[in-house]
Amino acid sequence: MVSRFAPAPRLSRRALLAAPLGLTACPSPTRPVADEVPLWFTYGGKNREVLESLVGRYNESHGRVRVRAVFQGDYFEGLAKLRIALAARAAPALSHVVGEVIPYLTEAGVLEPLDGYPSLRGLDIVPELGQSGTWTGGAERPPVALPFNRSTPIAYLNGALFSRAGLSAPTTWDELRATAQRLTETKASRVVRYGFGCPIDWWFWVALVAQAGGELVESGGRVSLGGDAGVRALELWQTMTRRDRSMKPPPGRDYNAWEQTNQDFLAGRVAMIWTSTAFLKYLEENAAFPVVAAPLPGQVRKAVPTGGTHWILLKDAPARAKRAAAEFLAFMYAERQAIEWATRTGYIPVTTSAIRALEQRGHYDQHPNDRVTIDQLEVAMPWPWSPRLFRIQREIVQPLLERAVLGNESARSVLERARALAAREG
Amino acid sequence: MRPRHRLDPYWMLAPTFGVLVLFFYYPLGRAFLHSLYEWDLLTPPRYVGLENYRVLFTSGALLAVFSTTLAVSVTAVLGSMALGLGLALAVNRPGAFAGFVRTSVFSAYVVSWVSVALLWLWMLDADAGVVSALLRAAGFGRARVLADPSTAPYALAFVIVWKIAGYSMVLFLAGLQSLPPSVLEAAALDGAGKLARFRHVVWPLLAPTTAFVGTTSLILTFQAFDVVRIMTQGGPVRSTTVFVYSIYEQMFMWLRVGRASAEVVVFFAVLLALTALQLWAYRRREAV
Repeated sequence: MVSRFAPAPRLSRRALLAAPLGLTACPSPTRPVADEVPLWFTYGGKNREVLESLVGRYNESHGRVRVRAVFQGDYFEGLAKLRIALAARAAPALSHVVGEVIPYLTEAGVLEPLDGYPSLRGLDIVPELGQSGTWTGGAERPPVALPFNRSTPIAYLNGALFSRAGLSAPTTWDELRATAQRLTETKASRVVRYGFGCPIDWWFWVALVAQAGGELVESGGRVSLGGDAGVRALELWQTMTRRDRSMKPPPGRDYNAWEQTNQDFLAGRVAMIWTSTAFLKYLEENAAFPVVAAPLPGQVRKAVPTGGTHWILLKDAPARAKRAAAEFLAFMYAERQAIEWATRTGYIPVTTSAIRALEQRGHYDQHPNDRVTIDQLEVAMPWPWSPRLFRIQREIVQPLLERAVLGNESARSVLERARALAAREG
Repeated sequence: MRPRHRLDPYWMLAPTFGVLVLFFYYPLGRAFLHSLYEWDLLTPPRYVGLENYRVLFTSGALLAVFSTTLAVSVTAVLGSMALGLGLALAVNRPGAFAGFVRTSVFSAYVVSWVSVALLWLWMLDADAGVVSALLRAAGFGRARVLADPSTAPYALAFVIVWKIAGYSMVLFLAGLQSLPPSVLEAAALDGAGKLARFRHVVWPLLAPTTAFVGTTSLILTFQAFDVVRIMTQGGPVRSTTVFVYSIYEQMFMWLRVGRASAEVVVFFAVLLALTALQLWAYRRREAV
């Protein structure tokens, strides 16, 4: 039976453009449904399994509404497809995107305000993870994003190596350097195990900038990229890779570098890594040694950015599909689903009721690593609400970070160039 | 043969011309039009004239991408042509074994770029790759060829050589087999050895084939995308951001439709110039 939300028979030029990308809606032939909600998601591996099982549960329990979850690659591939689909007027009703692009998509006017949906009112979202805590001034804006898979950067330690060396998790940058040097092992002047590993990625650099006391965007709106704090953040990586030779710069860009960091840690080639809380369960389940999670160290202060993605409804989708999507989101925020998503993946529970329930069940006593992810929210910092920040991140800062760490350019000159380019970005 | 009707040639040409218009001239025209706008697909396009071209040329981005593309392509083309010619000379003989080698070498060209890229990604892996293990055993230390900006473009070029050497070999083989035997026999009777025959007879006679292989291989390598997307994503430090990958980045990662279109137009001009150069060289030689 054809869904009410299937496209009209006449194919427009835009639909034809979208067809090769698999963007046109395909009605489900298996069971009759009144409303179909296309959901584009960008989780792979274990996270994908968990999401699909939750979607399956929803579809089983809601006969007239069917959520059709479609995998769209990693975050950035999914985002590219979403934007093309928006241009082709073939976008799904529901998707999820990284927080950095929410201001950009809001400015483009493609996001549906969520305050018109009764099922989404009064959700007990954890403040640091909701729109109000994720962006400066987020509470004053119309709600357009709801948190789902939210995370922060976190440190993972090889428990066996740390215990053998009698070391504990570093709490300052100086301790980080000293610990990494102690755990770095060389044979015949060749490093066989690095003390520290971290993807050369904007997210971790932003954490370092905040720890050094800097802000990416000043209160007047000027993009400063942390000023001197930004330089100090980059210099820490340079020192650890070039001078100390205690940090392994992984190859590849984007998520290849993240995967490589995980593999280095699991294989014992790196003793301590920084990566997302999202990998907590994956690393715990696949390591041949005890994995110990620890908060990131601080310099002048402790601070971490939040990450992960937010649910969005797309304005151009049919009204019935958006209403059905809102019902599905309410289901996902119910305690059972919120807990299951968090405990099976490692993402932070996004509702206070879910955290409270886990506390009461003694979950955090049994899984102390999970507690670290919750406790670190105390130092979570909001992102500036800047529609330009996404481009500055992807086009300017990210390639230059890589250049500064893998090349020979000084941190100061790299960031001066980044600031000049960001200013030109307007 | 003269056409029965004066319109006959035109309707016979029409299907090909139609396909060309639909899939080549029209998209190219649209790309040129888009290159005059700033557009992110989400907000209305804004006319900016030649601003996209000015940014590309003055920011140094185009020069960097062009240099990278040229370095990868020239290395890959020279390597694949040398290997292809050597293999063609070696297997230009009857026999089952020569046939087996010809098929084996050409089979790499038939395999998809994605498979080839994945295969070499594993083989070049700094920790678990067989190539890295061999380099370590030979005393080169831990070879991180794909992670080092100075070696990554050449590692990519090497993979391209491996993939397209079979294409060069087949074309050179065809060229060798079309050489007039009488000329080679005459040279042999005049006392020319194998090396002299190759240098003074075979190589000059293969010039048209060499020009064709060179140009088509260059265009082929200029269009490399899959191998970059899978193996390096343009890094490290943008050292493998070739033309097509840069267009992809502008269009799909950064949503700069205007700038991506400007790069498409420049890329088209570069390929057109290369093809014109090849035709000019070929015709000049014919005239001589």
